[in-house]
Amino acid sequence: MTARALRLVLTQRTALLVVLLVAVVVTMTTLSGNNYLSAPYSASYMASTLINAVPLAMLALAELLVITSGRGGIDLSVGAIVSLTGMVFGFAYGQWGWPLAPAVLLALLLGAACGALNGFLVAHLGFPALIATLATYYAFRSLALVVNDQRPINSAPVQELYSTATAVTLPLVGDALPRVPLGIFTFLVPTALVVWFVLARTTAGRRLYAIGTNDVAARWSGIDVRRTRWSAYVAAGAISGLVAVVTVAQFASARPDAGTSGNGMALPAITIAILGGVAITGGVGRVAGVVLATLLVVWLNAGILLAVPGNDGTQFQLFALGVVLVVAALLNALTQRRYGGTQ
Amino acid sequence: MSAPAVDRPAAARPGRVLPFPVTGQEVVLIAVIAVLWVALSLATPAFATEGSVVPLLVAMTPIALIGIGMTVVIVTGGIDVSVGSTVMVCAVVIAKAMVGSGIPLVAAVALGMGVGALLGLLNGALIAFGRVQAIIITFGTLNLFRFAGLQVFGSATVEGIPPTLAPFGRGDEGRTLGVPHSFLLLLVVAAVAWYYLRHTAGGRHFFAIGGDPTAARLAGISVRTRIVLGYVLTGLLAGVAACFVIAQGTSSLAASVGSGLELSVIAAVVIGGTSITGGRGSVLGTLLGALLVQTVRTGVTQLGWPSQLSDLFVGAFIVVAVGADLLRQRRRPTPKGTT
Amino acid sequence: MAAAPRLEVTGVAKRFGAVRALRNADLVVHAGSVHALVGENGAGKSTLIKILSGAETADAGTTAFDGREVSIGSTTAAMALGVATVYQEPQLFADLTVAENVFTGRELTRAGRVDWTAQNARVTELLDLIGLPARYATVAVGTLSIAEQQQVSIAKALAGDARLLILDEPSAILTDTEIDVLFGVVRRLAASGVAVVYISHRLDELFTIADVVTVMRDGETIGTWPIGELSVRRIAELMVGGVLEDGPREHRVPEGTPRLELRGLGLAGRFHDVDVSVRGGEVVGLYGLVGSGVAEIAASVYGITPATSGTLHVDGAEVRPRSPRHAKALGIGLLPSDRKQQGMFSFQTISFNISAGNLRLLSRARVLVDRRREREVARRMIDRLSVKTPNERQPVSAMSGGNAQKVVLARQLVDRPGVLVLAEPTQGVDVGAKEEIHRIIAELADAGTAVLVVTSDLPEAIRISDRLHVVRDGTTTAEFGPGASQVDVLAAAAGAVEVAP
Repeated sequence: MTARALRLVLTQRTALLVVLLVAVVVTMTTLSGNNYLSAPYSASYMASTLINAVPLAMLALAELLVITSGRGGIDLSVGAIVSLTGMVFGFAYGQWGWPLAPAVLLALLLGAACGALNGFLVAHLGFPALIATLATYYAFRSLALVVNDQRPINSAPVQELYSTATAVTLPLVGDALPRVPLGIFTFLVPTALVVWFVLARTTAGRRLYAIGTNDVAARWSGIDVRRTRWSAYVAAGAISGLVAVVTVAQFASARPDAGTSGNGMALPAITIAILGGVAITGGVGRVAGVVLATLLVVWLNAGILLAVPGNDGTQFQLFALGVVLVVAALLNALTQRRYGGTQ
Repeated sequence: MSAPAVDRPAAARPGRVLPFPVTGQEVVLIAVIAVLWVALSLATPAFATEGSVVPLLVAMTPIALIGIGMTVVIVTGGIDVSVGSTVMVCAVVIAKAMVGSGIPLVAAVALGMGVGALLGLLNGALIAFGRVQAIIITFGTLNLFRFAGLQVFGSATVEGIPPTLAPFGRGDEGRTLGVPHSFLLLLVVAAVAWYYLRHTAGGRHFFAIGGDPTAARLAGISVRTRIVLGYVLTGLLAGVAACFVIAQGTSSLAASVGSGLELSVIAAVVIGGTSITGGRGSVLGTLLGALLVQTVRTGVTQLGWPSQLSDLFVGAFIVVAVGADLLRQRRRPTPKGTT
Repeated sequence: MAAAPRLEVTGVAKRFGAVRALRNADLVVHAGSVHALVGENGAGKSTLIKILSGAETADAGTTAFDGREVSIGSTTAAMALGVATVYQEPQLFADLTVAENVFTGRELTRAGRVDWTAQNARVTELLDLIGLPARYATVAVGTLSIAEQQQVSIAKALAGDARLLILDEPSAILTDTEIDVLFGVVRRLAASGVAVVYISHRLDELFTIADVVTVMRDGETIGTWPIGELSVRRIAELMVGGVLEDGPREHRVPEGTPRLELRGLGLAGRFHDVDVSVRGGEVVGLYGLVGSGVAEIAASVYGITPATSGTLHVDGAEVRPRSPRHAKALGIGLLPSDRKQQGMFSFQTISFNISAGNLRLLSRARVLVDRRREREVARRMIDRLSVKTPNERQPVSAMSGGNAQKVVLARQLVDRPGVLVLAEPTQGVDVGAKEEIHRIIAELADAGTAVLVVTSDLPEAIRISDRLHVVRDGTTTAEFGPGASQVDVLAAAAGAVEVAP
């Protein structure tokens, strides 16, 4: 019985993540109840921290798509696409006076175009994904910084966008549930649903898993391998374009380094994707795992902030992220040898 | 020797016991750098002056130095994205030691090398013995090292660093006969690394491992030891680079030190012709890659263009360099019957 | 001969699980002679050489080297004895030079530095011996042709002063001129006192190169003869032995126009002038040895490597498949020869594996996967092909070779293609599954499909084919009707001069 439970937790990444998530929430709530934390680790606190989950989870979903496409798939440029697309969105919405909907569409399309360049280099020209997206990371980041001479765009319309990033009371359930940031519903949930739907229910999803599992066999099965792989990068770019809008709203400003300052956005996104059970070798990865991994990281981080006040808190977040990633990777390698893989 | 035929490896001369030491990619890089230098000298008179070239050479040293280690790692088929954090940890440890107990230059360098080697050992051991992809492990240790570094920083910048490391700096103290010491040291390290990788059995084994790890093991090479060695070397050189970074800075050290450095290093290495899939690469190429990147950065600034524009060119150079390499590989014969 | 033989193997046996790969092998190889080892696929040749080269250890039997009994427990032990093996696929480091490849792991050093001069001197000698120019010493192996790479492998094997050289089907991937060069090398080595064990499927070449021939059958060595006492036909008879020849398939091929026709099909450097036609309801075999070009023909029909000359016709209309996708749209289905590489999505489920090649068919409006139909199709196929599995959600990686092969085959049957090309349909499949796959092939033909079976398995080719073409040296040479004898077919494929009736 215990052996079976252990096997389940080790081979089913979602099971492991649920266990860890429950452990984190229970631990933090207990600590909070005994006043070990600097502020209560309450449901409303947990809900409010979800604002951090939106860009993180969306970019992790983008990485899910490209990593699953196989042949060393990865996208280092997502953060740079966020920066660049955010600036262009800022121009369109904040300076050229475009209405919101076309401006968002523009961001989506520009992100997709950036992704199309990545996809062309990787799928059609055969560049290693790591190198191709490293190069475009540099190019997009540079353009984002140059396009407005390093200055952010925070004109009135952009600042007003901030209101869309604030928390809302859910309709119907009303105050029964805590207030949740609006971005969850306007961006993250739709993106996650679409990605889940594409992967789990459509022929495009099947093709993606097929090329990620064995692209030679996929070719022999009559699948257009290049086009499928290219599409994965386009989709990742489009999602990054949406994240740009989210980020602009969150900061009430289109910042040229929004996705590239510090360690950038790509690294945490890749980390979360891998933590969520996406195999770096391709062909394996599920939306549920990525979403759970995001929640785990966000709520763990939120707890750490309360447990370790001040600057130390953010530092311990790095520590936790690193440990979780290394342990998850070692665990993957172990289950690979013992049980023949993670699902 | 006049105009050696480098494009055709088959053209090795009688009596030569090795292929010509400079590859086609490196010749192209040298040509590109030469063209850039000439063009920049013509475009801005300030470029070809001591006040411009010396800072250029000094600025490329940390990236080139770590790049030598990274070349070895990538040649074995691995990668190390944690080098930025390694530099940060080493830098803060050295800076604190200098501020706290005024350690001398030699001790500072040794300290950096020791700490760097230790972090590299951790990376290498996890990768070689945990059998996990290098990129995942080093993404993890990137965060862990950064945490450790920030803990040492103690949430503040390190102030009042004594000029112990000035001999590696940009100033007069850092030069002899106009040549920056850090650049000289880089050349010495590069020469030793080049000799080791090209002329010793142990050095050649790195290439064999990257080419085919299984065949390498069957040939009696201790693959794991070599892989660990590569990461240790990278860490060690990151420690030395940390000294250069401190020397090039002011008397204070901010926590952002080393951030994003890994990507610059990888860029220099791949522009230099090292194959990301392993088995092929050279120290000379990496030096040239780092020099090219720094030339572009300096050139863009001196032309009065926005400095951030230089990254656009770096990205383009990566695409061109790797694209040329892909074309060359495509011309290789494929076995009969494989499709 | 007074001296003890270089190698004397007595009563060697090896079992892998339930399979007795080697029952009883006796082999005596003398210094200075080229000793050919022949036998059909599965006769035990490769197991025997794996034991000799230390890659496997024998369960029983003795091995003596120069009259002294030895135990070869590892590849390094074998190398220490002077046993050098050259496998079919060169195991080399593409980016290192020839000289480096020869000495990887045992570099000659002086004061810590690789002694390039000494290494190159030695390699130059070796290159001279195997007939490659001396300047190749400093050339990266990856820039050489495959044939040259194989010669480098031989040089590598010889660098350690080989006393017994084992060549595993070296000619399979070489062209005729390259084979001539290889033979020159082998003869020179033998003349210098090396004992050579030469494994080949091409019986005709044995008469140019071998001194003695040992024939293996069903895991046993059945005898050794001087080459002068043998003919291609005689060797073929010995290889096939007293195997019961199955009667031809009870089947009347309907008259009619061909559904698939290859007219003078060719691919530069691989095969040429291939003429084959398959009518609906007919099973046509294409039999050829490894390296004969037979695998490439299948790949061309399926659009992987489009043909460069001749024409291809489906139901009378000329077609030019550009890709597997295109071939599929033209109504051609193909079972790839390399199941693991080209066929299986290993850790995915059975139903995933079946639907992956039929997404358009199993979808609604080409976008949504029709999961109900996907499940139904998978279950129907599991039932129809007798796939042994609890349900359609099992990953194929956990299945036996035969069951996995059935799943890959099922993928091709979903849209009922009019033309089916099956490459090596029963490779690595146990006997029971083989029977079943043969039954499925017969059923497919009976349902009106034109089936082209490309195989290097002789009994299979004869058993399931209504007509059988033999491919040799990249082209179709002989055609046999039902009930052809194995000896005749093998003799034709292996290059007997006399043409079979």
